[in-house]
Amino acid sequence: MQIEEILNENLIDLNMKASTKDEALRELTTLLCKEGNVTDGELFIQDVYKREAEGQTGLGNAIAIPHGKSDVVKTTSIAVGRTKCNLEWESLDDKPVHVIILFAVRNVDKTTVHLKLLSQVAIALADDETLEKLLITDDKAEIIRLLSNKM
Amino acid sequence: MNIVGITACTAGIAHTYIAKEKLVKAAEARHHHAKIETQGTIGVEDELTAEDVKNADVVIIAADIGIKGRERFEGKRVVEVATSTLIKSPNMLLEKIEQKLQLG
Repeated sequence: MQIEEILNENLIDLNMKASTKDEALRELTTLLCKEGNVTDGELFIQDVYKREAEGQTGLGNAIAIPHGKSDVVKTTSIAVGRTKCNLEWESLDDKPVHVIILFAVRNVDKTTVHLKLLSQVAIALADDETLEKLLITDDKAEIIRLLSNKM
Repeated sequence: MNIVGITACTAGIAHTYIAKEKLVKAAEARHHHAKIETQGTIGVEDELTAEDVKNADVVIIAADIGIKGRERFEGKRVVEVATSTLIKSPNMLLEKIEQKLQLG
């Protein structure tokens, strides 16, 4: 089970131009579409907003984990983006967000392995030190390492 | 203190596991033992056995949706919170529980 199955350097943008939550979601969705993991960006974003309506995805420490379970996701994967702008986001600590980890999840059940990988990423995000490093590293390989939670 | 619990968020993808991780880390730092079952999209993991529940001093249910197997906890002290509460401040939650249990 390898993290590369759900995340690679093409899905990471550490210099996003986004200055709003919507722009950030669209920039990251574009990466997922380019990679062929999502077949319809608009429909995917709608599913992401559906989840946003159900509860906060801002975890605090400037990180947010929006996610969408969608029929237009071909390959369960994640896209990671960072922006210098303060993104307004519904967060547990009410502070702005700079790092967004967008999870794209297939609705069909063939991808238990991928869901396990996602849960490993989620567990990595429960660690404050990891969150701090995500904010400062400029090395995409390091981002992948941090999220793969090798314990 | 022996803690058992269940975490379950709406999408079952991320918050479920983050909540469990935060709870376990906080509990261990406070010298408690914690076994937490997750009910996510993958299904149930680390399922609580009857033995686990029997030996528990408290059951923490951090869920934003209905959970499975609630009948296992009949007769036990149960604390229910939203997953976001647990993720935000696991230590505050544990402190409250510790105080309550001390008061018997």
